[in-house]
Amino acid sequence: MFWRLLWKLLRGSGGRLAVAILALVSCAMVVSALLNLEFDIERKLTQEFRTLGANLLISPRNAQITGSSPAEVMIESEVSAAIQSVKDPNVMAAAPFLYVVGSAQNTAVVIAGTHLEELPKLEPAWRIEGEWKSSQAQQTACLVGRNVAQQLKLAVGSSVSLTYLKKNAQLKVAGIIDAGGAEDNQVFLELAEAQDLAGLPGQISFAQLSVSGTTTGISHYAARLAAALPAYEVKPIRQITEAEGDLLSRIRLLIVSMIVLISALTALCVLGTMAALAMERRQDVGLMKALGGSIGRIVTLFMAEVGVLGAAGGFIGAILGLELSRWMGQRVFGQAISSRWEIFPWTIILTVAIALAGALPLRLLGKVKPAIIFREQ
Amino acid sequence: MATLVRVDDLRKEFGKVRALAGVSFNVEAGEWIAIMGPSGSGKTTLINILGGLDTPTSGQAIVDEVDVARLDESGLTRFRAQKIGFIFQQFHLVPYLTAVENVMLAQYFHSATDEKEAQLALERVGLADRIEHLPGALSGGEQQRVAVARALINHPKLILADEPTGNLDEANEETVIQLFRELHSEGHTILMVTHDPAIGNLADRRIEFAHGRLVKVTPSNDASRNAYR
Repeated sequence: MFWRLLWKLLRGSGGRLAVAILALVSCAMVVSALLNLEFDIERKLTQEFRTLGANLLISPRNAQITGSSPAEVMIESEVSAAIQSVKDPNVMAAAPFLYVVGSAQNTAVVIAGTHLEELPKLEPAWRIEGEWKSSQAQQTACLVGRNVAQQLKLAVGSSVSLTYLKKNAQLKVAGIIDAGGAEDNQVFLELAEAQDLAGLPGQISFAQLSVSGTTTGISHYAARLAAALPAYEVKPIRQITEAEGDLLSRIRLLIVSMIVLISALTALCVLGTMAALAMERRQDVGLMKALGGSIGRIVTLFMAEVGVLGAAGGFIGAILGLELSRWMGQRVFGQAISSRWEIFPWTIILTVAIALAGALPLRLLGKVKPAIIFREQ
Repeated sequence: MATLVRVDDLRKEFGKVRALAGVSFNVEAGEWIAIMGPSGSGKTTLINILGGLDTPTSGQAIVDEVDVARLDESGLTRFRAQKIGFIFQQFHLVPYLTAVENVMLAQYFHSATDEKEAQLALERVGLADRIEHLPGALSGGEQQRVAVARALINHPKLILADEPTGNLDEANEETVIQLFRELHSEGHTILMVTHDPAIGNLADRRIEFAHGRLVKVTPSNDASRNAYR
């Protein structure tokens, strides 16, 4: 009889309850979408953050460049071995660098030796005219910064002659880099070529890594790497990792605030509807009490009605919310956010809780006195 | 016959208004009592107290050995479910429940529901073909018969009827009164508030109220009973 009564109550107040269920569906939809976004935001944002470039630096202790060559250098094989040994799926790119100041066609330039095929992964924001050198076979190809190309009137396919001390290398320009920074004044060539030119075989100035994840995660990885490289300094590039962490925290706070605000507004909407419904049902409650219905049993019946509304609203809203989060992901990140079904029960539980909180006026029905209700009529 | 209802110096005040001013009487099991009197004389207040819908200011109202005045809220709830069958002038059916569901509602609050038994109760009051109808689709007389079936479904010790024919036309009134006659002949104890002297004459005794006081008790006789249409 309980379920029969519940069904009749739901049918009997369809119009008024439609307002409440609409509010609950809307709430569940937005909450579900935001929760889905919240769960995926770290992965999405850290992917986005990686376009900002390297965020971890391995360098000699007290590294500086004196004159035209680095005062202290590191052993490339030691660094490579350490990066290989401290495996982490969050390492998106890693590249060693050897910097020397040489000349190109009698003009002083910074010569940077690195693994050129790692540059697009390490610095995704850099734009290039021409192509990234992607083959180790192209030993004599180089990438030149935009300013260097302008100053030396170089174009893609041009030849450039680099000189360091008394050594000389003839290279072909594979691409012109527009980095929007100091890199526009540099010439990038394969690390082995630069080491040969600088007379520093097997040596590097420093190494840069692009590591995705939270500030804490990156710090943990840095600590592990530092333990494997005790002779060198391993540190996160603080400005970048802190800015990333701060932005992530702010977005999370925004999402949580919105969930709380939407939940409160929905509870108020349900509260208004239920207050009106409670007034309408005073006569029914008076009768039920006259027939021997206990306060607990009657209020349980009405709260169950609200619970069913909350569950139904949560169910429908959660499904719509997952679709909404996909759409939001597409709009904000350019790719759909993957649906997390574990959000589903939590959305329903939250919506039921909101509905029950909004149904507090129904508790007042417990105070209805049948004799007074009948006398009013 | 055993005394089922004992009312002793019963008083009820609503602020400065005295609804009952020291009423005392007994009702034997199986008796049909008509409570009569002008509006505001305290009839409905008495019914409400005996039915556990209201509590007295002082005095005793003992029904089936239970002093209603001493019951707390949950005790009154159990008392209403187990001992009382109400029939109201306004019928008071739940509009979104069918006739049989309205009867089952009383079963639900009493103990367990039995749809077959509820259907039989409706058949007994002549509503076999109205079982699945909503109250809005029933005439006043039919609604009151549903209310009678609902009042009887839990086999109450005492049936309290507050002007049960007050909203009915003549034909429906006769049908409902015939039901009360049958209930009386089956041994049910009935306290019925009525303004109609002809209906009052059908009861075993007429108890008349004025200004919250019991002013007259008149036993009926066969002549007066036969006077009802």
